[in-house]
Amino acid sequence: MKPPQNPTETRGKNKKIKRRTGDSKIALAFLLPTIILLAGLVLYPMIENIRISFFDVPLNPNLDEIFLGLENYQTILTDRDFYRSLGVTVLYTALTVVGSTILGLGVAMLFNREFRFRKLSRSIIILSYVTPSISLVFAWQYMFNNTYGIINHWLVDVTGILDEAPLWFDNPASSFALVTIFAIWRYFPYAFISFLAILQTMDETLYEAAEIDGANAWQKFVNITLPAIRPVLITIVTLRTIWTFYMFNDVYLLTKQVDVIGVYLYEQAFSQNDMGQAAAISVVLFVILFTVIYFSRRKVDVTNET
Amino acid sequence: MKRKRKNALSRTLFYILLVLILVISLFPFFIMLMTSLKPTNEAISYNPTILPEVVTLEHYQDVFNPSLFPFLTYFKNSMIVSFLAAFISVFIGIFGAYAMSKLNFKFKSTMNSAFYTVYMFSGILLVVPLFKIISSLGLYNTRTSIIIVMIVQTLPTSIFMLKSYFDTIPKSIEEAAMIDGLTRVQIVFYITIPLAISGIASVFVYAFMVAWNDYLFASIFVSSSEFFTLTVGLNSLFATPDYVWGRMMAASLLTALPVVIMYALSERFIKKNLVEGGVKG
Repeated sequence: MKPPQNPTETRGKNKKIKRRTGDSKIALAFLLPTIILLAGLVLYPMIENIRISFFDVPLNPNLDEIFLGLENYQTILTDRDFYRSLGVTVLYTALTVVGSTILGLGVAMLFNREFRFRKLSRSIIILSYVTPSISLVFAWQYMFNNTYGIINHWLVDVTGILDEAPLWFDNPASSFALVTIFAIWRYFPYAFISFLAILQTMDETLYEAAEIDGANAWQKFVNITLPAIRPVLITIVTLRTIWTFYMFNDVYLLTKQVDVIGVYLYEQAFSQNDMGQAAAISVVLFVILFTVIYFSRRKVDVTNET
Repeated sequence: MKRKRKNALSRTLFYILLVLILVISLFPFFIMLMTSLKPTNEAISYNPTILPEVVTLEHYQDVFNPSLFPFLTYFKNSMIVSFLAAFISVFIGIFGAYAMSKLNFKFKSTMNSAFYTVYMFSGILLVVPLFKIISSLGLYNTRTSIIIVMIVQTLPTSIFMLKSYFDTIPKSIEEAAMIDGLTRVQIVFYITIPLAISGIASVFVYAFMVAWNDYLFASIFVSSSEFFTLTVGLNSLFATPDYVWGRMMAASLLTALPVVIMYALSERFIKKNLVEGGVKG
């Protein structure tokens, strides 16, 4: 992320300084709305969040907040539900990231050739990624409905794969499977598009040379494909891990049985009305997030231009 | 001869896999469409079929009938919120991205890190303080609250995307314009925006989609149904007598339609598409 070379740099020193300060003023003016918005609605809330986490905050703004010290933290850090929610979230994230990345890569490799209707097929695959969650969630709720859903009908009555219909929206284990499958289905196109873009820039002759050397498909994948897609792979895995870890929309809309950390936090704040506790949970999650950002900063290319 | 057979085999395998993945991708959409055309008794049959035996358009009529179903109100709210949030996010983002792309200034790398951090941020982490701030500003139960928060949520990504488009505009064009006496603001309006217009359109589509898809903030900032967006409104109808499957499927399809059309259009005009730009989602 080097700043662009300034063409005036080679000229007189005075001129360079003048040019710089000139830029600084206009840059500040251009960035001011952004800075104000981010300071007011990201930075300030972050600080406010830390403050709230030490208080018992009543829903009614006219009542006084009560200072609790570290009590909110003590409560969550000794709360078994919090750890269970973290565990569910980690498992959900791991399965979703691995599943959607592998599926995305597989489909991208399948698409890395010429065939008829390739563009149309590509658009069809992206459809699940661009459609709003709410629409997809309704379709899935209907398809997986316990009594008249077509999936259970197929699994039990038609093919007999399962003896008993899984209660996708009542049984926590089935619900967990459902939200995970949904996430993989919905987000694999993101990996697919990124992988396809880089696969298409690759040099075909590398594969031909490897073939002459007698390499099999797996060897070609490990020795040629994998090193080439590595930067994209790292970016996709990091971003998808973070976004899945804090997933709220998809899980909450699909079923109330899976309390990943986003859902747990939302319910603490707006169902239990315990803002202080919810804020303390946020602070704990902040710490986790910043650790990840700190270690990923150098490896992740946000613009993904490879 | 042997090679030919092997090719035919791998081609068959390729098409089987292709069809399989396309069916998996499309199936829920197909179910949505078919269910929206089925009469209710067929939709809740214990012996479900994919294709309707009787095709009916009653669910679409019901969805557009305000006395039966508040779809149009929700649709209007979603439109207002998403359009304004996307428009303002792009407008502010253009100037921010221009500074990040073309100007030299102090703290540039600090700004970059700040954007990166916010980019990775999830709205759920700020839900408690934002709720308090919005309430204390007197914006609770207004569309404005959702618009403001959606601008902030999309702004860092907008700036990253716009910057990558602006980076492709050669400096020499601007230098020529500056010699002609154009100010920076004029350059943005007369040179940068026209040259990057298709990229700007794709950023607009991105921001629109994020706002259109939001449930989190719309569900906590708004309490009266006259201001509900589609996600909140449709979800609130779940488990009520209004929850007729065919109607919900018709509403789902109509909810998806604007963003899918916008995405298809933006893809057609833009080589470098949304997902390749490392877009949050």
